[in-house]
Amino acid sequence: MAALSSKNGSVPAALVHSRILSKLWQDRLIYLFLLPTVILFGLFTLYPMIASFLLSFQDWNGFSREATYVGLANYQEVIADPQFWLAFTNTIVFMVVTVPIRVTLALILALILNNPKLPFAGLFRTALFLPVVTTMAIIGVVMTFVFDPVGGPVNQVLLDTNLISAPINFLGRSSSALPTAMGIHVWKWFGVTLIYWLAALQTVPEELYEAARVDGANVFQTFRHITVPLLVPFGIIIVLITAIDTLRVFDLILTLTGGGPFLKTEVVEVYIYRWAFNSSIPRLGYASAAAVFFGLTTMFMAILQALGYGMVRRMRGTAS
Amino acid sequence: MKLSRRDFLKLSGIAAATTATGGLASIIPAAAQDEIVMQWWDHFLPLQPLTESVFAAYKESNPNVTVEYSVFSPPDLGQALQLAYPNDQAPDVHALAGISVPIPALKNEGWFASMEPYITEEWKNSLPESIFIEGRTTFGGELYSFPIFSFRSHEALVWFDKEILAAAGYDPEVGPRTWDEFRDAARKITENGNGTVFGWTQGIGHTERMGATLTRLAQLAGISGDIDWNTGEYAYGADAYVNALEFLVSMERDGSLFPTAITIDTRNARSRWATGSGGLFLDGPWNPGVLQGNFPEFLDKIGVSQAPVPDLDTPSYAYALPKSGDFWISSQSDYPEHAAAILQQFTSEDYQIKLAERMDQPPLDLDTVAKANVHPTYAQCMDFFRDIVRLSPDPLVKNPAVAEVLSRMNDIRPNLGEIVQGVIAGEVSDIPGTLQAYSDQLTAERERAITEAQAEGFEVSQDDWVFSNWDPTADYTSDMYGA
Amino acid sequence: MMKIGNYTLRWQMVLTILVLTVLCLVWIYPFLWMISASLKTQSEIFSSGLNLIPQEPQWQNYQRAWVDAQFSRYMINTVLITIGTVVLTIISTSLAGYVLGRYTFIGRRPFMALLAGTIFIPAGYTIIPTVDLANKLGLLNSLWGVILVMAGTGNVIHILLFSAYFSSLPKELEEAAVLDGAGFLTVFFRVMLPLAGPVVATVTILKFLGAWNNFFVPLVFTFSRPDLRTLSVGMFAFVGENETDWSGMAAAATISLIPVIIIFFVMQRRFVEGIAGAVKQ
Repeated sequence: MAALSSKNGSVPAALVHSRILSKLWQDRLIYLFLLPTVILFGLFTLYPMIASFLLSFQDWNGFSREATYVGLANYQEVIADPQFWLAFTNTIVFMVVTVPIRVTLALILALILNNPKLPFAGLFRTALFLPVVTTMAIIGVVMTFVFDPVGGPVNQVLLDTNLISAPINFLGRSSSALPTAMGIHVWKWFGVTLIYWLAALQTVPEELYEAARVDGANVFQTFRHITVPLLVPFGIIIVLITAIDTLRVFDLILTLTGGGPFLKTEVVEVYIYRWAFNSSIPRLGYASAAAVFFGLTTMFMAILQALGYGMVRRMRGTAS
Repeated sequence: MKLSRRDFLKLSGIAAATTATGGLASIIPAAAQDEIVMQWWDHFLPLQPLTESVFAAYKESNPNVTVEYSVFSPPDLGQALQLAYPNDQAPDVHALAGISVPIPALKNEGWFASMEPYITEEWKNSLPESIFIEGRTTFGGELYSFPIFSFRSHEALVWFDKEILAAAGYDPEVGPRTWDEFRDAARKITENGNGTVFGWTQGIGHTERMGATLTRLAQLAGISGDIDWNTGEYAYGADAYVNALEFLVSMERDGSLFPTAITIDTRNARSRWATGSGGLFLDGPWNPGVLQGNFPEFLDKIGVSQAPVPDLDTPSYAYALPKSGDFWISSQSDYPEHAAAILQQFTSEDYQIKLAERMDQPPLDLDTVAKANVHPTYAQCMDFFRDIVRLSPDPLVKNPAVAEVLSRMNDIRPNLGEIVQGVIAGEVSDIPGTLQAYSDQLTAERERAITEAQAEGFEVSQDDWVFSNWDPTADYTSDMYGA
Repeated sequence: MMKIGNYTLRWQMVLTILVLTVLCLVWIYPFLWMISASLKTQSEIFSSGLNLIPQEPQWQNYQRAWVDAQFSRYMINTVLITIGTVVLTIISTSLAGYVLGRYTFIGRRPFMALLAGTIFIPAGYTIIPTVDLANKLGLLNSLWGVILVMAGTGNVIHILLFSAYFSSLPKELEEAAVLDGAGFLTVFFRVMLPLAGPVVATVTILKFLGAWNNFFVPLVFTFSRPDLRTLSVGMFAFVGENETDWSGMAAAATISLIPVIIIFFVMQRRFVEGIAGAVKQ
């Protein structure tokens, strides 16, 4: 029996089976560690997302009891709406422009502020973080003064230095409103990227720096050969986090421009909000479809990028 | 399972009742021992002290009733209601704002409770006849709600700093009356303003308001509003709309518009206007009320005049839809009798006079203002409203099934207000074409919604938007719907 | 750094400090403006533009926020909610990040993929099913409901951060501990977690900030219990249909930011407590 069974492969199968079981049992503490996350994430992140995903195939106004199943109609409508694509483009442009600026600037300042010998470093770090906590509604008012076309300091400086000949209505023209919003975004959220970098820098052991110093390496050599290789895994996560951050610019856009003028500064999150809560008849199914479609598209782009990055790395690996 | 506070109170009420009946001293009725906590949500921030005084007065006579009062901003109120109703968290009484689903559609969803079982004939008879409108305040003849404000109001009055206007060569007691005068005054104020004072300050970024303002100006230029009641067609492409929008844009092209205005909202614009940016400001009667609270030193400087018109020779009118009720009792409320009792206080003369004194929207009866202690400009506004505001016909009243069409219509964006902002910001150059396209899109969307509603068995057609007996110079009263 | 004389080195430092000071002053200007607005009258806020010095400090703005707008009560609720959320989040994300970062086990890759997949979906509109679920679980109108929902959302990046950090720690650390006879739990709690100070600090600050400022969740979870509302929800009392009480709002915002700033200032020190020192011990 046993011999026969082994020939038709059922014993190895059973063996594999029991090996999996014993591996699972051996790793039981690992799964226990995951349990809190599984419960919290499952209930309050995953479930609502799945529910919203199902909603995207329905027509529902949020206040009536009944929703109607409409298949892919919401998706077709989203894809056919030029306003969605404008919001989509704005979001991508926002991301492509602000992420590199935020990540690079924050890294430079993190390297400076990471120096344990720098006096007042704590104060500087706190100061750079303050915009993050400043209430958006208040920022909205300050910025109308800062970027005021009549006597605002930004226009004043540009006029005095002859960089422009007439004041710019920064937030009032679609050509300048989005770049202005990007600038304000970088200023406001810069502190978050900074603290990510500061945390990442702690993984670089001080001994390595000392060793490099002894070897006579200069600042840039140290940075290039010690800091950078150790920071790469973090760098990827920080770029990712920062990129995701730029998808959440809802408050900022709503406060600064309201998506205007003429919906030209609308981003996807504002578009979704508009349909879900701020239209005369709320369209939750449609809003969900826009969100899911956008989510899938960005995910797809991220995967492509990751694959591309991996390929480049492999090619470099074989070359050297 | 956690108990909500309301459940807990219900349970403790039952417990109290059990002890009372089973216990020794059962003289006091159980109901009197119930602590009742009611939730009340609205968006009438300027009325807050007045509203709280009504609750306090009610508590005097009913010590066991406490009202927990939350004032929301209008969009927050809309979202809060949208989330509260499906989860049985609706407040006992609420206002409606930030949600533009037609009221009959919300009624059909079972949101509201009727006041009828809890009110007296006497009180009902004390209300003005004009507020009983099927689909707006009554359903099946039963009273559900009533307005506390008059429909006779508009938001395109011209407000100005009297000194600045006088320096521009206009009599501040008269103000700029026509579009040409308004534009000219704005230009002169800008010239006198040394680059800091501008002729026209407005919250152009407040697109809902800009849409309403444009419609108001178009009405005064001779159209019935968004819809031409003679044909039932959308009227955004009409000359009145095109000319009114060109009038608004002309100020920007002249350089008379306060440049920051393009993205800010009305609240912000008013603050800038009151602190030195500007001459002319289009706003409603609540302007002196807001100034009194926030910019008292500016209040004495202001004057007001009627909304500008293309010319003074033809009589101009503005049209307002019949007012819906302002407060609604939720069907989820456990205490509709208390809710109704409190609500009845809002129509008392004493309350209405105090309401007028808050200088917000005009009180139900404009004449109440004469008895109230108000800023002279507020009293002046009432005269302006009597002169030109007329009650508009309402398709929803003509045929309640119109609600089925409206609640099936998707928004067309950019909407009217966004078009106004787009034109002023230079994003849109073809004014007639853009307005006509907007009108056409809405027409198509309405046709689609009508077909859909008809397919579901509702008897509704575009004829429901036609009012052949409409007289542009007179109120369209309830009795005219049948005729 | 190269062999530069002490003298020039000091000059470099002074220059750095100087540049940083100027940068920081510009950087925090809007924050200072907010504080100054909280001490101005409504009209002064707008008439004085960017000027920071109030003519005469209007302390009654604080009175209006703290007493009339009930910010004293909201402060207690917010502190409770925030502490609960941060503690729960640190526990759940550090545990998950540790095993995901340092161990291979069955289901690890799919789990990582699931986590990563959710971060791209815009989440603002998922409030509707969340409230629906909470209602079914009986979590509405309680502080616990708010805490659980906030601790259960927006954590993926924190998990990834912990996971990256733990995976970058040298293997020798736990090998040494295991040689000393430490078990799985001991290694984590005694060796690994104490070394994760910078990440714990980062996650604490960000989660603190997120929970402190979250508006929607506390709003919808306290519909029938206005006494459980938080500072950010209380903020809407300053915005009306036709007016905004800017000075009251600025005062309320200033009050509500003080604890956040203190937390940040305290926590940021941990950023420079490098693991190098800990390894030597």
